[in-house]
Amino acid sequence: MEVQPTRMELIKLRRRIVMAKKGHALLKMKRDGLIMEFRTILEDAKRVIEEMVHRYREAQEKLALAMAADGVIAVKSIALSVEKEPSFTLKRKNIMGVVVPVIKREVVRKSVAERNYGIIGTTARIDEAVDAYEALIDAILEVAEIETTLKRLIEEIERTKRRVNALEFRVIPEMEDAARYIMFKLEEMDRENIIRLKKIKSKKEKAEA
Amino acid sequence: MISKIIRRTKISEWAYIVARVKVMRRKLIPRDEYAKLLNMDLHEIARYLEETEYKKEIDELAYRYSGVDLIDHALSLNLSRTYTKLINISKGLSKDLIVLYLRKWDFWNIKNILRGKMFGFSNDEIEATLVPAGEFDEDFFKSLLAKESIEEIVDAFKGKPFYPILQKLVHGEKLSNVEDELDKFYYTSIASLSAESIDMKYFIDFVRMEIDIVNMKTIIRLKKEGISPEEIMSKIIPYGYQLSEEEARKLSAMDLEEFYKAIEGYWFIDHLKEAIMTQPISKIENALTKVWAERMIKKSSNYPLSILPVLAYILLKKIEIDNLRIIARGKASEMSVDEIREQLVIV
Repeated sequence: MEVQPTRMELIKLRRRIVMAKKGHALLKMKRDGLIMEFRTILEDAKRVIEEMVHRYREAQEKLALAMAADGVIAVKSIALSVEKEPSFTLKRKNIMGVVVPVIKREVVRKSVAERNYGIIGTTARIDEAVDAYEALIDAILEVAEIETTLKRLIEEIERTKRRVNALEFRVIPEMEDAARYIMFKLEEMDRENIIRLKKIKSKKEKAEA
Repeated sequence: MISKIIRRTKISEWAYIVARVKVMRRKLIPRDEYAKLLNMDLHEIARYLEETEYKKEIDELAYRYSGVDLIDHALSLNLSRTYTKLINISKGLSKDLIVLYLRKWDFWNIKNILRGKMFGFSNDEIEATLVPAGEFDEDFFKSLLAKESIEEIVDAFKGKPFYPILQKLVHGEKLSNVEDELDKFYYTSIASLSAESIDMKYFIDFVRMEIDIVNMKTIIRLKKEGISPEEIMSKIIPYGYQLSEEEARKLSAMDLEEFYKAIEGYWFIDHLKEAIMTQPISKIENALTKVWAERMIKKSSNYPLSILPVLAYILLKKIEIDNLRIIARGKASEMSVDEIREQLVIV
């Protein structure tokens, strides 16, 4: 680190060290906070993923049952009546400065009367399969939301960790070294001045004598 | 058709078709066999079916499909051929009544073609959903598939009494409503016929009993979904055997507690009240189908020289196909034997 060994520079450097230490402490707190947040969301994620797997199994079973009871022909013809893909809106939420998505599901699940197939010619097994798959879509969107949040949090934790480490092991020690160097240099200069003054004084005394 | 069927039929005419149906009924899989089938794996089931009435269809479709899809399509093809055979071996009033009843499948096919065309599915995919077993043959439905637009398909039915219903689709009506109206048309067009002879009365009563079953399924299904009484009523088919429109309206407006009490006494409730209160709707539907089939078997043996043994056979054949499909699909998706058994209608 190239520094001018001046008192002004030392003052500036000391201020920067104080600032860096404050920043370091804050970042450390942020990192710890993010980790705690991550752990909480991780627990939620485990629950949501388990729920999704459960719903998937259930949906598969219901579909198999619908296909078994009503035949592929019936199920296929009901599938033909699917009009639109499920949609969702993406919003943002801030967790300790980390922008994470909030997936707002548009109501995927329709009541039997709203579905695009006749009631009289179909059976409840198809309703049950449709219900199970609609619930599965909801579960998938929930998992997508929580997984993206976790990914963003991990990235932010990594970034914060790097900053904390950089401050702790590089920036602050370098500034402290520089400050120490300036101090030594200034002390050295003080000593030189004292010696110079002493020499001038002794020369003056010799001349007077 | 209506003018043709209002006439008397000789007993000998019934004797022929009933004798043929009796032979066909003997070829249905006996109820004890289901226990064996439930313990077989998918390959064993296919092999078992190769030794039954389904051999021809399995051999025929083996180059296009495999595994459970093969069994499934073979069963559908067999069903359509069996029904066509019934039409071919019958004559006179029995033929008219069978065709009239099997028109159910015409509406099924029309609905599938409309759905498929509206949602952009390929002709092959739509064709796989067709069961040509009614008044219109396979070629007619293929000619419909060749048409480009819904308007052209609808126009193909110009002059048919259900044409105005199909026309609504062209004018922007929801497909689900048109489907329900077609189903209603099918049932009411039969149930509203006047029973000029005892043979006709048996036939009409059979259809009206089916209407009761369909209506009860609809009411239970929509009630448990919390649908409004008005909407439920819009799906109710008139001319029920015991469950009239007025009674259906009352049942639709009741809360579930009242409903459970009020359904006692209907011919199809039998000992099902407990099941209706506690079981999932799909199981209730199964139980109702079973009650209906048992009632029809009993009735057909009480009136052996009538259309009833034929109709009972049509019903039993459909139940057999459904059971075999449930077993095959259930095995393919590794469902437990108990779970599969619960889904069967063993009469």
